[in-house]
Amino acid sequence: MTASHWLLAVAFFSYLAASILYVAGFIGQRRLALAAAGAGGQVTGVGPGSTPAAGGFYLRAPGWAFALATLGTLAHAVGILARWQGAGHWPTANLYEFIGFMSFCSMVAFQVLYRLYRFPVLGALATPVTVALLAYSYVFPREVEPLIPQLRSHWLVLHVSFAALGEGFFAVAFAAALLYLLRTREAEKESRLAGLALESIFWFASTVLTFAVLAYLLRYTLGQEWVIVLDRGVSRYHLPPIIGPAGSAPGQAGSLFGLPLPLVAAPGWIKGKNANTLLFAVALGTPVYYLLRRLLCRGLPFREALARLAQGLDADLLDEISYRAVAIGYPVFTLGALVFAMFWAKVAWGRYWFWDPKETWAFISWLVYSAYLHLRLTRGWEGRVSAWMAVIGFGAVLFTLVGVNLLIVGLHSYAGGDL
Amino acid sequence: MNVALDRCPDCNATLPEEARYCPACGVPVAPDAPLRRRREEPSPWVQFLDAAWDFFASVRVAVVLIVLIALAAIAGTLVEQEGLYQDWRPPELYYPARYGPLLGRLLMATGLTRTYTSWWFLTLVYLLVISLIVCSLQRLVPLHRALQRPTVEKHLGFLLRQPVQARLPAQGEDPLAPLAETLRRRGYRVWREGKGLHADRGRLGRYGPYVIHIGLIICALAAGAKALPGVDVTHDLWIENGQTVALPGTRLAIRNNRFTMETYPNGMPRLFQTQATLLEDGREVLHHNIEVNKPLVYGPWWGPWEIYQASWREEPGIAHLELVTGDRVLGKVDLDLKSPAREYPVTPEVRVVVERYFHDFELDPATGQPVNRSREIANPVFLLRFVGPDGQELGRQALNVAIQPGVEARSVAEGPYALRQVGISSRWYTGLRARRDLTVPYMYGGLGVVMVGMYITFFIFHRQIWALDLGTEVVLGARTNKDRWGLQQEVRRIARALGGELTVGSGVERSPGSAGAEGAR
Repeated sequence: MTASHWLLAVAFFSYLAASILYVAGFIGQRRLALAAAGAGGQVTGVGPGSTPAAGGFYLRAPGWAFALATLGTLAHAVGILARWQGAGHWPTANLYEFIGFMSFCSMVAFQVLYRLYRFPVLGALATPVTVALLAYSYVFPREVEPLIPQLRSHWLVLHVSFAALGEGFFAVAFAAALLYLLRTREAEKESRLAGLALESIFWFASTVLTFAVLAYLLRYTLGQEWVIVLDRGVSRYHLPPIIGPAGSAPGQAGSLFGLPLPLVAAPGWIKGKNANTLLFAVALGTPVYYLLRRLLCRGLPFREALARLAQGLDADLLDEISYRAVAIGYPVFTLGALVFAMFWAKVAWGRYWFWDPKETWAFISWLVYSAYLHLRLTRGWEGRVSAWMAVIGFGAVLFTLVGVNLLIVGLHSYAGGDL
Repeated sequence: MNVALDRCPDCNATLPEEARYCPACGVPVAPDAPLRRRREEPSPWVQFLDAAWDFFASVRVAVVLIVLIALAAIAGTLVEQEGLYQDWRPPELYYPARYGPLLGRLLMATGLTRTYTSWWFLTLVYLLVISLIVCSLQRLVPLHRALQRPTVEKHLGFLLRQPVQARLPAQGEDPLAPLAETLRRRGYRVWREGKGLHADRGRLGRYGPYVIHIGLIICALAAGAKALPGVDVTHDLWIENGQTVALPGTRLAIRNNRFTMETYPNGMPRLFQTQATLLEDGREVLHHNIEVNKPLVYGPWWGPWEIYQASWREEPGIAHLELVTGDRVLGKVDLDLKSPAREYPVTPEVRVVVERYFHDFELDPATGQPVNRSREIANPVFLLRFVGPDGQELGRQALNVAIQPGVEARSVAEGPYALRQVGISSRWYTGLRARRDLTVPYMYGGLGVVMVGMYITFFIFHRQIWALDLGTEVVLGARTNKDRWGLQQEVRRIARALGGELTVGSGVERSPGSAGAEGAR
């Protein structure tokens, strides 16, 4: 079990280093290309020998990054196997295990697509998404829990693994579609709403990352815990409880800087603890977003700064990579998240379909990707409209995985609905 | 022939110059396509049908329907659905309490509390099914025709518009012969006509979407058939250990030999199991240990009865008591808390007679009379009489059996005899759910067709190659519906083998973004 934690740490830092190298190499190459173009030079292929010495690092960086990403993927694979050995069951039974597994799948998807296209920018896209996913998995409790009778089935392996693999491809498709949106963006023609929508993706990403780091620090490093005792049971908070569970009294859990905790109690139909978490994520993610924007983009909106970097990329190729990722991920996802899910539901509960929120959301994600595949074939709706659909589809996938467990009660709620 | 469109208005595929149908999706594209040419004004009925057909044949309409269904499904996950909420109250009490009287009633009236069987949701689904059928018919026939009888000799301009191109030296009597031979060896189907050559491979891939659509239509019909009576039957059965319960409407009955529950050391449940015996006309036909994920299955493959472990219940079963007089124990009595016997003979001298029994005792506040508060065994009270061998009354006792551990039994006795509680044992019920769903084989068949269709669609690539003998050289143009990179590799290999060179492709016509693609290879 400890071995698995160490291997996952190795994987995490490999991915992190790889993503930094990829992004640095990519930006460096862009600068060189712009400089060369400014000097009237012609940018040739990226290969050893044909490179000016000054830019050597940037040109070699994607190679190292790929090696690191591969190393991370291998460590991750062994880590998953070690946890399987240690836990005695396939490690996709709670949110920590599942999201970690999904981040592994997005690296597998990256390896497959890289083999098809040999397009280094793909690495600059896929590794940050993987890092974000893996970081997010640390938010959830890491303890191995024994399997309840419903989960003791071979379908656990098949259903969850195939669904996660499909979602891994969707993650890469999302990254490529996002870059396509940035590449084909025309700043003058962009409406206010479209600009906000594009920018909100980056705001959301900063919020999730901030929250992951914060929750990790509080849970594992500081070990801080607030306990609220109610008639119905005990509520344990790892963040200061500004919003208490329904029925709690203000000030019940002490105070923080003179502020009574909890400040307010949640109404009955909201999970107070998760509302509290959401509050923190938004309150801290927004300044972090602003800070990143100041530091990384010199105060420009993310979409502005990144669109400049994306200039000169082959938009058609990005579109094709996004499509290809969906074209592989879609059948795998259909098999794992819908077909195997139906087989399992039939065996476990007697009905193949319940319209339980989790399976409904998997169905919704499937519909969005179906729409994407048809949009690409429709004149006037190919290109940006369908790229937006790939972004929305990944949003639906994330909501299926995390949002449903956190916000909606259903048959899948045993999968770990509390932060 | 009129000038054709450059691109298909429906699917945006590049069109052959003389196309009357789009080779990719089969939509008529030429203004004078035969379907559109009519001699006289059609009747209003035909006009209406034409308009309806055109409406459902549009991919745009299909996409809009898909998005609408997704939005309706989202709405259904935001409101707790009937049958899924965890509350004992019926919907007309539950929703006003949960969402407030106005909103609760509104949600029920609009059908949002049972979204997936509401008329508006089903309407959208069936509109999409119609769209699937019409779209498939509209495109499949022309597509099949175009794939079976392709135009072999194309204009040079057409070849020069293809995403992958190559030039080969023209050698010998028949410069296209070695190319044809190479392509055949690579599994291509080759046509020759005049100075032109056409070859293709993986045609099957083009039929894939229609296979998926057929599978989805089967699934939708199977799901729709559930509404028919008798197609999808469920019975919930509560069976006490050792008891047999008949399956309503069948000759089957189920005996629960024993229900067991195991837990992990931390108290989480590990196993729920019913050792069950299935009886048909009173004969034992099957023994099976029913567990979660391991139902009992009995009957023909196309519609068996399946019996699932759904739930379990423990209730106070038997109170263990001693008959005492003073400090002397005279004998033991076991009182059944569900249906106690009329009397229990303890010793030759003393019988215990149950006068009255309340399983959930309460004094009615209005009348002051003892009544049962609920149907549960929650507060059992016995009114007992002690009777001697000749029928003479020896004493009386009111006994409140303790069902919680650590709680003393309360009792009031008059006379020398009394019952003293020494223990209590539970009665275990297993909750089984018997189901027979005749749609399952059709649904699974439909899903199988969908998956086969997905494999065909996404993993079989249709590659098309045209070549023209120009006398001095052979020009080759190629395209594919997927995997342009793989096609390019193949054309490059073919060209090199025949002494030629790739002239147009994604690494050849080099753009800065794709430069890395070539370099890293």
